[in-house]
Order: sequence, then C-alpha cells, then structure tokens
Amino acid sequence: MSSRRSRGIPRITDEQIIELVSKLQQLLPELRNRRSNKASASKVLQETCNYVRSLHKEVDDLSDRLSRLLSTIDDDSPQASIIRSLIN
Amino acid sequence: MSPSQQPTSTNPSSLKNQFAHRFIRALKTLNHTKTGAAHDHNQMYRRSIRVKIASYTAMASVVGSRRAWSRAVLWKIIKRSRNQGLLLRKRKRRNPNPKREDFNPFRNSGQELKLRKLVPGAETMDSWCLMGETADYIKCLVAQVEVMKTLVDLYSIT
Repeated sequence: MSSRRSRGIPRITDEQIIELVSKLQQLLPELRNRRSNKASASKVLQETCNYVRSLHKEVDDLSDRLSRLLSTIDDDSPQASIIRSLIN
Repeated sequence: MSPSQQPTSTNPSSLKNQFAHRFIRALKTLNHTKTGAAHDHNQMYRRSIRVKIASYTAMASVVGSRRAWSRAVLWKIIKRSRNQGLLLRKRKRRNPNPKREDFNPFRNSGQELKLRKLVPGAETMDSWCLMGETADYIKCLVAQVEVMKTLVDLYSIT
C-alpha cells in the first residue's frame, strides 16, 4: 500500500483518534449509557457492526410489513396527506 | 433540497421529512403498479424487496452526492437499472484528502473488515473516512427506521 509521506502533513494525533472513536460511541445505544466513555476501539467497532446489522434487519422487517399493509389500501391519497401532515 | 441544509451535517428532522416525502412518493408508485394476485407469496416477497429498495434509494437520494455511502447506493441502483456492468466503470478516489497520511490504526482488524462490508462504498477508504461515513450512515439509518415505523403505525390504523 503506498502512502504519501511528505514533510508538511500534520500527523493524526492520539487525541483525534480517541475523539473519533468516542463520537462513534455516542451513536451506539449499547455503549452510550455507560459512565466510562473509554470503551476500547475494538469494542466500539464490534458494537457498530452489530448496530448496523440490527438496523438493516429492522429495515427489512418494516419493508415486509409495509408491503403487506400497502396491498390492503385501495385509495391511498387521504392516508398520504395525513401522513405528510403528521410527519411535518 | 432546502438551502438551509448544512453541507457537513444533516438536521435529523429535516432529514426525516425529506426522506418521508420521497419514500411516500415511491410507495404510491409501487401501489399503483400492483397486480391482481396480491396473496401470492412470490408476489408479496417481491413487493417487500421493492419497498426495501425504495427505502434505501429514497434516503440515499436525500443525502445525494455528499457522502461516499450514498453515492455507492445510488450508483448500485443506477447500474442495476441500466444493466450495463461492463461499459461504465466507477472512478475510484484513491485519497480524497491529500493533506494527511492514510489513516489505519485498526489495520486489518477483523471488526473493521466486517464494518467495511456493512457500510456501502466503504471498502477502499481509509479508516478516518470509514469512521465518518459510518457515523453518517448510522444517523440516516436511524431516521429511515423511525419514519418507516411511523408509516407502519399509521397504515395499520386505517
């Protein structure tokens, strides 16, 4: 793997790495509530993978339910306008 | 695209609104193309897949070209619909940020490779970009799931 190493490039500091990992950690529901904000990087990565997988699964399930519900709707325009007004 | 949107971060409620608009529009189109046999299992499975693709496409199109993951999703959809795998070649950006070295602290850890498979477009970027893309991707997935849950609840009532 070629990497450019010229003199003027600022090196990534350890603080930046820690900050990045902790920012990611904030997004994860499993690790967000822990008092110690020092979960190891590999733990954060592992939880991230699990979380993304569970979100994908949720999208699958919800798509399945939505497609079944859609087929029971004949006239969708009143629902669509209601939905839009409720979401906004 | 609202002009008040910031280029680097996405306001969650505006993200949900924009996603909801596009997704509902796509659902209406899907609904109008339904065929008579709605209880056929194969038919139901295919509709479910179409809803899922519409969902990911709607979210990726809201984010647009701002993010590598959304570009990757849209590119995949375009490629699939054009069906021209050989002629169009994706331009790979080797190092979009030339101001720093390639960042690889988790070098080849098993978890990072698994994450690269989960986040669209993440296979060749360096670890710094991967973290940023993953964070944005998660935020958008969460918004997507929340809107879809709301829709399921609303459609279930009537």
